[in-house]
Amino acid sequence: MTIVTQQSVLPQHTSAPALPVVLEPDEVTAARVEQLCEVIMKKCLWQFHSRSWDRLRQNERILGMTTSLLKDEQVDVSDPLDRCYWVDARYLAESYRERFEWFHDMSAEQIDHLLSALTERLNVLTVTKSLNEELTDQHY
Amino acid sequence: MPATIHPRERPGIINPIFTCQPAGAQFASIGIKDCIGIVHGGQGCVMFVRLIFSQHFKESFELASSSLHEDGAVFGALDRVEEAVDVLLMRYPKVRVVPIISTCSTEVIGDDIDGVVRKLNEELLPRKYPGREVHLVAVHAPSFVGSMVSGYNVAVRDLVQHFAGRTEPNGRLNLLTGWVNPGDVTELKHLLAEMEVDATVLFETEEFDSPLMPDKSGVSHGETTVEDLRSLGDAVGTVALNRYETTLAAEYLEQEFGIPTVSGVTPIGIRNTDTFLQRVKNLTGKEIPRSLVIERGRALDAITDVAHMFLADKRVALYGNPDLVIGLAEFCLDMEMKPVLLLLGDDNPNYDDDPRIRAMLEHVDEMEIVTNADLWELERRITQENLELDLIMGHSKGRFVAIDSQIPMLRVGFPVYDRAGYFRHPVMGYAGATWLAESIANTLFADMEYKGMKEWVLNVW
Amino acid sequence: MPYHEFECSKCIPERLRHAVRKTEGEDLTSALPLGYLNTVPGSISERGCAYCGAKHVIGTPMKDVIHLSHGPVGCTYDTWQTKRYISDDGNFQLKYTFASDVKEAHIIFGAEGLLKQNILDAFAAFPHIKRLTVYQTCGTALIGDDIEAVAQEVMDELPDVDIFVCNSPGFAGPSQSGGHHKINIAWINQKVGTVEPEITSDHVINYVGEYNIQGDQEVMLDFFDRMGIQVLSTFTGNGRYDDLRAMHRAHLNVLECARSAEYICNELRVRYGIPRLDIDGFGFEPLGSSLRKIGMFFGIEDSAEKIIEEETARWKPELEWYRERLRGTRVCLWPGGSKLWHWANVIQEEIGVDVVSVYTKFGHQGDMEKGIARCGNGALAIDDPNELEGLEALEMLRPHLILTGKRPGEVAKKVRVPYLNVHGYHNGPYKGFEGWVRLARDIYNAVHSPIHSLSALDISKDEIPTDRGFVTRRMLSDRDLDPQIANRADLRPYSGRFDIIPEIRARRAERVANGEFVSAP
Repeated sequence: MTIVTQQSVLPQHTSAPALPVVLEPDEVTAARVEQLCEVIMKKCLWQFHSRSWDRLRQNERILGMTTSLLKDEQVDVSDPLDRCYWVDARYLAESYRERFEWFHDMSAEQIDHLLSALTERLNVLTVTKSLNEELTDQHY
Repeated sequence: MPATIHPRERPGIINPIFTCQPAGAQFASIGIKDCIGIVHGGQGCVMFVRLIFSQHFKESFELASSSLHEDGAVFGALDRVEEAVDVLLMRYPKVRVVPIISTCSTEVIGDDIDGVVRKLNEELLPRKYPGREVHLVAVHAPSFVGSMVSGYNVAVRDLVQHFAGRTEPNGRLNLLTGWVNPGDVTELKHLLAEMEVDATVLFETEEFDSPLMPDKSGVSHGETTVEDLRSLGDAVGTVALNRYETTLAAEYLEQEFGIPTVSGVTPIGIRNTDTFLQRVKNLTGKEIPRSLVIERGRALDAITDVAHMFLADKRVALYGNPDLVIGLAEFCLDMEMKPVLLLLGDDNPNYDDDPRIRAMLEHVDEMEIVTNADLWELERRITQENLELDLIMGHSKGRFVAIDSQIPMLRVGFPVYDRAGYFRHPVMGYAGATWLAESIANTLFADMEYKGMKEWVLNVW
Repeated sequence: MPYHEFECSKCIPERLRHAVRKTEGEDLTSALPLGYLNTVPGSISERGCAYCGAKHVIGTPMKDVIHLSHGPVGCTYDTWQTKRYISDDGNFQLKYTFASDVKEAHIIFGAEGLLKQNILDAFAAFPHIKRLTVYQTCGTALIGDDIEAVAQEVMDELPDVDIFVCNSPGFAGPSQSGGHHKINIAWINQKVGTVEPEITSDHVINYVGEYNIQGDQEVMLDFFDRMGIQVLSTFTGNGRYDDLRAMHRAHLNVLECARSAEYICNELRVRYGIPRLDIDGFGFEPLGSSLRKIGMFFGIEDSAEKIIEEETARWKPELEWYRERLRGTRVCLWPGGSKLWHWANVIQEEIGVDVVSVYTKFGHQGDMEKGIARCGNGALAIDDPNELEGLEALEMLRPHLILTGKRPGEVAKKVRVPYLNVHGYHNGPYKGFEGWVRLARDIYNAVHSPIHSLSALDISKDEIPTDRGFVTRRMLSDRDLDPQIANRADLRPYSGRFDIIPEIRARRAERVANGEFVSAP
């Protein structure tokens, strides 16, 4: 087994030219979602809170803020819980920008589209198709 | 100040010297070949005992749990014993002996381990394992009775009771060692071999010190076989070494098979080893050979080198298994030392009957014996009552008393996990006497040097 | 489903779904073992009990507390002196343990009177200690002693003491994890909110799920000092009882071991609105990111950057020295719970080893999700491994090293696999930047041990090499290393001391003496 790194196993699209259509083709989005997801899986912990409702909220809040940050939008962090989501979101947004040059060429719509696909994928992996049988346990 | 004996006065324990019965039963279990005990109780009762064995021996030993969980604690968990036996037998085809050891929880809920053994013998074993020799032995070891010492005693008795039979006299001697180290077993077997005495040893634990082999075959386990256990009833005599650890089994063999029995010898020190040899001679009719005269002489020579000059009048506190502590105290007295505090680690109200203790109470000027003791009895006397000590001898659980009070300590007994390889050295026999005397001296020497206390004396010794 | 079937466990089919090998194309929706289910009896599992999870793992690291187990002596003795959670004020929690010593008569007639006397005697023996925790055990749970009532009675009689009751008998759950949960919830229900703390900073955290193994917590406190962050409490390593009663006043819960302590963070979030930030204290990048995130939360990111810069400059050349020499080392990461995910990725990225297997003794499926997500493809993930499965896995995977506990380490030794203790550590602390180098150093020393290299030689069959009287670790580790890398002047092996905690304590004491900020008194 070798060390798995982003570069060795995942397709790179750093030199992809700007496309005439607003959204990337599905296969490009899907590949990028996998890349983005891999960063979360390898580097983050917030997606694995112990209950479904908590995971859905974590995924939605953090990736929602990540989307805003990638689009250079303001995020309201006056509430401490939001501020904590923002911290993880900022880490993620910065990691994405650092790792994936194609982000710099993306429009707000493209980012929305990509991150909403990512959220969907993450929800599938961690909630809707998760094999974790404790996710619906009533105790917290 | 006359010698005294009294139990610990507080009802509670601060820093225990001993653990509970299931640990003793587990220690007996690992001495038998092709044997894996199942402890019927919570998983911690096994996991931590395995851990302490591995801390002491730096090896791992196999013991299983019935893994009592909440439902079992409420509704009874004998089904889990049945499953445990089946799973164990399926996956460990060599296993022939399965002690089923109860704990406080399963005794409180009243699980009938004798009944489940009967049931398994009638149903599971003939149905699923026909032709396979499997011995299930129920051992009642409630944690709220006695200690690991009594748990060992009970387990050895139950195992002996299960197996021992009578066929033809075999001329062998039964040697019940008690809770000793592999190094002790080696030394005891050596002494008997020198006397040309064949012995059945409970338990053969030398293989606990297993090798790291190129073919990965090293495994730590006991070597006493089912056949050895069966043959106990055919012996010419039984020597039961530690009064509180082996007497029950020895009494059983004596009563059931009329085997002449010598009980309660703990061959620590020259004098007690002499006694041991004399008893063996009486039981077997074998002579004590010149080779042992030489070994004894070598030990005496070594002890003489250190005793008068370094050991005389040194004040010692001893704690641990009662037979070990009593044996060490006797040897210390022979070496001119002053065992001023003995902490007996076993909940047992009958120490007054022990002739060794009665003799010490009669003849020793300054000695306090605390029964059912904990380590606070030691620490409190040092820190609050100005007990002066030159040396502490005991197991590793008391290490901080010695460290914090800066009193040198020689590790003896079980468990010793803060020194390397001590299980390999005997404290019994002539070799044990030599090791003890020299280790005591070396421990004192290191302390002299560390504290700058007449360390220059050793320039010319 | 990519379940892995062990030969030795074919006869217990319920084990099948407890081992998984995630390969190319698999993800968490297809590869996740079952977890935290009742143990198969007689399987020789490595699990402990819920009592030890509560008392031994989480309760006892609290340093200013009398830890009293209500039951027969064994539970107390067995869990005493088997961990390395130190404290900065004398290690009371390691040195003293208390058992009410329940006997047969108490089982029949009740042990409440005995317990009360015990508590009074314990306070009398240690008059400077005013806090006490009573841990229920199997026996006293089954006889139904009302421990809370006894505790209240003593508190009424002795107004300056406080007593916490933890009802977590050994049988309460499939493993020690049941006890983690019980003590988390008991603490927040009984104690949080009963003390109002002195707030000394605008940036206030609870540091949760950190047990100060070999000084890990103190390494982190040193960073928090430098960031100006007040650590209101540590749950529980090197922690104080009354500090932990004031957890409700923190601005942020920084959670390290989510396995053992997420419950209290979750409850603090629900009841007091305190956010939960999960961090990794191990490894340069994860630790750096964690400090950065905490800094971001409080708007003091620069203070984190400064630490990261200094520590990286100091220690990176040493980490790299080891990484270059450990590439391709196959390791089994077989800890108890959280390290399987804390380490699974970063140990590969930063120390260069390949994780070929992860397992967890008491983890839940959530831990395996994290672990499998962070492993590379092909790693074998095992839940609640038993003795034979562990041996079979070692035979199949042929690792160069196993990262596990003391006793399984002894098993591995016999099949010629060296081990590192990842519960208590070999030569920790392993947290912090220097700590991570210490782990790399320990791995290197184990893997490239000249003595270990002798263990495969069968002198009765093999030709015995007679050309050398010694081998050094460098001769082994650099044998196949590119000379350009082997001789890199910018890299060096570990240069720290055997015990680094005194330096940290001295640094912190100096801050106190100079009137500078410290994160915790």
